[in-house]
Amino acid sequence: MPDLPWEDWIRQADDPRGAFAKPEALDDLLVLDVSQQSVAGMVCTAFLAELGAEVLKVEPPGGDPARAWGPPDFTHKGEGLAYLSEGRNKYYITLNLEAPEGRDLFHQFARRADVVIEAHPPGRMDAWGIGYRQLSSENPRLIYAAISANGQFGPRAAEPMPEYDLTSQAASGLTFITGEPESDDAGEAGVPTKAGPWLAGYAGGAWTAFAVLGALHYRHETGRGQMVDVTPAESLMRYLEYTLLWYHIDGRIRERVGFYDLAVFPYTFIRVEDGWAFIAAYTDPNFQALCRVMGRPELTQDPRFATVWARVQPDNERAMREEIETWSLRKTSDEILEKVMADPGPGVVVFGRVETPIEVLSRENWWERGCFHKLSDPVYGELTLQMPVWRMTETPPRIRWACRPTGYHNGYVYQKYLGLGPRRLAELKDGGVL
Amino acid sequence: MSSESYFDWTARLFDRGRIFHKPEALRGIRVLDMSMIIFGPATADYLGELGAEVIRVEMPRSGDVMRIVAPQGFYWKNVSPAFFAQNHSKYHVAIDVHRPEGQDLIRQLAAKSDVLIENFRAGTLERKWGIGYRQLREINPRLIYVANTGFGQWGPFIKRASYDALAQAVSGFTAVSGFANRPPLKIGIYIGDYFGACLSALGVLAALHYRDRTGRGQFLEVGQCEALLRAMDWTWLYAGLTGKNRPQTGNRDPAACPSGIYRCTDGFVAVVAASDKEFRGLCRAMGREDLSLDPRFATRADRGTEAHAEALDTDIGAWAREKTRAEVEAAARQHGFAAARVATAKDHYEDAHLGARGSVWEMEDPVYGPMVEHGPAPKLSETPARYKWAAKPVGFHNEYVLGRLLGLRPEHLQELEQKGVIGKWADRRGPKPPDNWEGEGLVG
Repeated sequence: MPDLPWEDWIRQADDPRGAFAKPEALDDLLVLDVSQQSVAGMVCTAFLAELGAEVLKVEPPGGDPARAWGPPDFTHKGEGLAYLSEGRNKYYITLNLEAPEGRDLFHQFARRADVVIEAHPPGRMDAWGIGYRQLSSENPRLIYAAISANGQFGPRAAEPMPEYDLTSQAASGLTFITGEPESDDAGEAGVPTKAGPWLAGYAGGAWTAFAVLGALHYRHETGRGQMVDVTPAESLMRYLEYTLLWYHIDGRIRERVGFYDLAVFPYTFIRVEDGWAFIAAYTDPNFQALCRVMGRPELTQDPRFATVWARVQPDNERAMREEIETWSLRKTSDEILEKVMADPGPGVVVFGRVETPIEVLSRENWWERGCFHKLSDPVYGELTLQMPVWRMTETPPRIRWACRPTGYHNGYVYQKYLGLGPRRLAELKDGGVL
Repeated sequence: MSSESYFDWTARLFDRGRIFHKPEALRGIRVLDMSMIIFGPATADYLGELGAEVIRVEMPRSGDVMRIVAPQGFYWKNVSPAFFAQNHSKYHVAIDVHRPEGQDLIRQLAAKSDVLIENFRAGTLERKWGIGYRQLREINPRLIYVANTGFGQWGPFIKRASYDALAQAVSGFTAVSGFANRPPLKIGIYIGDYFGACLSALGVLAALHYRDRTGRGQFLEVGQCEALLRAMDWTWLYAGLTGKNRPQTGNRDPAACPSGIYRCTDGFVAVVAASDKEFRGLCRAMGREDLSLDPRFATRADRGTEAHAEALDTDIGAWAREKTRAEVEAAARQHGFAAARVATAKDHYEDAHLGARGSVWEMEDPVYGPMVEHGPAPKLSETPARYKWAAKPVGFHNEYVLGRLLGLRPEHLQELEQKGVIGKWADRRGPKPPDNWEGEGLVG
C-alpha cells in the first residue's frame, strides 16, 4: 500500500492549479468553428479548446450574432454574457463565407484542419462549396460536424428551422416529463417546464465533441475522416431512460410528476426552516437511516413505507413527504446535514440545500476544487467563470483567456496559416472578405 | 463535383439501413465497467455505442440495484425497464470484489482493458480491495481510469453522498429553473447522472487521443455536481458582475425573447422568435403585423424586457390556444421562426423522422425480444453508433468473458462459482432472466 493516502495523492496529481505545467490532450488539433447562433456549437468548441485544441472561431465581419446573447438586462463591454461564458481559449478571426474569395480562404484553412464544426441550416455550407463533400475531397482526414435543429437527413431535414435551446428541449421529450402536474394550486406553473440553463445546448455540445473525438480515434487507426450529424434535441433525448421502452411495452405515456418520482422514494425536495432542500433515502438500509436520523424508527414498519415498492405508490409518496416535513420544517439545512453526516450507518441519507447561485459562489468547496475562478482577462477585466469539468492527472484542461472581440486574432492567424501580412489583410477587409 | 442534391447525398451517407455494414470507431478498445446505477454505467454505454467492448462487473446474485429500480413498480420480463437505457451491448460478468480471488480476476481483466470506470466513494477500490488506480497502473500503465462521483476525489465535500437531484440542488441548477414562488423544479430524468456520464465519456476520449499520441494512460475524474455547474451558461458571470441571482423565468428563455411554451388544442408547443427577422415572421404568422411595428418590441433588447416579454407571451398564447401543435409548427416553417411540440413518448414512437435517423431505435434482442428505445445521439457517416443487444441477467457472460478473455478453464470457473467468487443471478426479479427464457443469447 502506497505511503500517501489516496485523497492526498490524487489531489496533488489532478489539482487544476498544477495544470499549466502539464501537457494538453488535444493540442495537436486544428479546429475550425464556423458555427453561429449555436449554443451547442460554442459549447463543443469550448470543450475542445479547454482540452488544448487550437480552435479558430470564424465569424462574419459583423461578428457572430450570438455575441448579443445573454440576459437582457446586462451586457459586459458590449458582449452578451452567454457568449463570454463559452469564449474560452479560442482564436477569433473574421471571414465572409458569403464572398467567393472568403470561401477560397476557407478552403485553404480546411485543407490543414483536423475538425470543422458548423451549425448552418443544412445544405448551406454545401451550397457555398465548403460542405463536407467538397472539403473532404481535398482533405480526406477531415472530421466535419454539423449541428442543426432537425439534422442533416431524414424527412424533416429539408425543412430547416432556427435551433434554439427551448425548442430543442421541447422536441427532446424531456419537457413533457418535467414540471408540476396541472392543478389549481400550481396555476400557471402546472405545465411542462423547461430546465433553466441551456441543457439541450450543453448536451449537444458534449455529444458533438464526443463523436468528433471518437472519429479522431478511428482516423488514428485508419487515416479516414468522416461527417458527424448532431441535433441538441436528440442529444437530450438520449438521456430519457425508459421513456420510450415503457410506451413500447405497455402503451404508457410517461407524465410529469413534479417533485415526486416514479421509481425511487424518498427522492424529493422538502421544505426546511431556511428554505428548500433535496433528500433521498430510497433503498431499505438508506430509508432505515433516514428514520433513525428523524427519530422515527417506527416508520420503517409502516406498511405505506416498509418496502421499495410501497414507497413509490403515489399516495404513499405524498404521505412520506408530509412525515418528513413535520421534522424538517423545524430544522435548518445545516442542522439536518450535521445529523445526516453524524449517523453511523448502516445506510446513508443524501441531503443538500437548494442553493442560489450567490450561495453556491460562497461555498469554499467549489473554489478549492477549482470549479470557479476569477479570471483577470486583459480585455474583459475580472470575470467569474465556471472552469473545465475534468480533473486529469496527465493532461488537465485549462483556461488561457476568457474571450476576445471579433477579429482580434486576424493578424496572427492569417499570418501563421496563410502567410498574409497586414497590407493584404487590409485589402481583404476593404473588399469585404474579412 | 456531384450533382446529387445535398439531401439525397446525406440520405445515402447516413442511411440507417447501412449502419451494420460499417466499421466501429472504437473497435479494439475494451472498457471494464466496475460502476453501478447510472453515473458510471452510462459512461461505459456511450463508449460502447461507438464500438468499445464493455465488460460490466456486478456482484453475483443481486447485481446492480438499478435492476429493481422500477417506475411505479413496473417490471418487464423480470427486470426494471430502467435498467436498459445505460447497459447496451455489454458483456455481463458477476464477480465478488470483496474476495481476494475476485480482486485478482479484476486485476487480470484490467491488464487487458483500455479503460476502467468506477463510481465508488473516493479511494474505495484502493483502500478496501487493492484495485485502485495506483495499483492497476502498475499492471497496465496504458490504462485510462475514470472515477465518477458526486463531489470528486478530494475536497471538503467528498464525505457526502450524492445523487443526481442532490447535484441539481447544490449546484444552483434547481434555483435557476422553473417558476418563481413555486416548489423546486425536479428535472424529469436523472440529469446529473446522464449529463455527467456524457462529459465523463468525453474526457475518456480526450485521454484516449493523448494515449494514441504518446502511449500514456491516466486517471480522470468527474463530479456530477461540477458537471451541472459547468452547464449553467451565463449564470456565474452574471452573479459575479451584478451580484444578483439569475431569476427563475418559467418557460421563457430570458436570452431569447419572445419565447415560451403554449397550450394548443392538442397539447403544448414551444416557440422562439428571438431575432428581428424571426419576430417579424411570427407576427405575420399570427396576423399581428402591428406587433412588429410596436416600439415596445422593436429590438431584441426591447423584447427581452420583462413587461414587454410578458405582453408578447399573452399574445402568442392567445394565438396558439386556437391551433394544433402541427399548425404552429407549420407556421414556424413557413414564416421562419422556431417552434416544436412538447413531444411525448407517443410522438417520438410515431415519428418517421426520428425512426429514419435511428433516434428511435428498433431492435430484436435474443432474450427480451423486440424493443424500441431512444437510439444513439450522434450520427457518424463512416463509423455509425449503434446498439447491438440489450442488457442481460447477472453473470450472463461469465463463461464467455472469463473463459475466452482470461483463459480460465471450465473446472476453475466451477470452483470459483462454488466458492461464490463469481456467480449468476439470484432467483428473483431484477437479476434473473425472463420466465420463458430457454438459453437464447448465451455466447460460447
